Amino acid sequence: MSRTAPAHVEVLSPVAGVRHDVSDVPDPVFAQGLVGPGAAITPHPGDQVAVAPIDGTLTKLHPHAYLIVSDLGPGVLVHLGIDTVHMHGAGFTMLAQEHSTVTAGTAIIRWDPGYVEETGRSAMCAVVVLDCPFPAVPLQPSGREIDMAQPLFKIDV
Amino acid sequence: MSRAEQILAGLGGSTNIVEIEACITRLRTALQDMSLVDEPTLKGAGAHGIMRAGSVLQVVVGPEADTIASEIEDLL
Repeated sequence: MSRTAPAHVEVLSPVAGVRHDVSDVPDPVFAQGLVGPGAAITPHPGDQVAVAPIDGTLTKLHPHAYLIVSDLGPGVLVHLGIDTVHMHGAGFTMLAQEHSTVTAGTAIIRWDPGYVEETGRSAMCAVVVLDCPFPAVPLQPSGREIDMAQPLFKIDV
Repeated sequence: MSRAEQILAGLGGSTNIVEIEACITRLRTALQDMSLVDEPTLKGAGAHGIMRAGSVLQVVVGPEADTIASEIEDLL
C-alpha cells in the first residue's frame, strides 16, 4: 500500500529584511487575509533585487508587484511596498518578462525600499498565496531577520 | 452577463463610478453613493473580499483585476 505525502509548496522570501505576519501589513485588504494567506517582510533600505519566491510562470508583472503561478496550482503574489501602484513605476525596474518561466530565486524587479519610504509610503512587502483555503505555515518566527531566497513559509496545495 | 458587467452592477451601475483603477489583484473604485453597493452581487461575480474606506471601495477579484477594470471602463 502506498501513501502519497501531502503536497506543499515552500515559498522563499523575495527580499531581505525582517519577517512579519501578514496581519502586520499596513493595508487592511492584505492584513485581513482578503487576498490570501502569507507573510510580510520589512525590507532593508538600499538598491536591491526582489526575486521569485517559487518556481512557476510569471503570470503578471507590474513595476511594483508580480504573480508567479506554480505548476502545482497556487499563485504567489509579491507586492513591494504599500500603495506603490501610485508610484506608476518610478523607482522600479522590471528585470524579467511577463509570461516567462522562472525558478525560485530568479531576479524579477530592481528597486530601493528606501526610495519608497522617501515618498511617504510603507516599503513592507506582502507575499500571499491567492485563492488558498489553507493557512501559511511560517518557517521563520515573526521579528526574525530573513535573507533573500530563504524559506519564508510553506503551504499545502 | 460578463464578469465585468456583474461587478459593475454590484458597484451600483455606471453612473455610480467616479473612478476605477486596478492594482494587481484588486479594483479600487471611487463611488458616488456607497449605499448602492450590492455585496452579494460582487461576491457572486467572484470577489474574494470587499473593503470600504470612505468613498473608496476595494474589491479583491484576483489577478484578472487589470482586465476587469479596463472592461468596466469600456462599459462606462
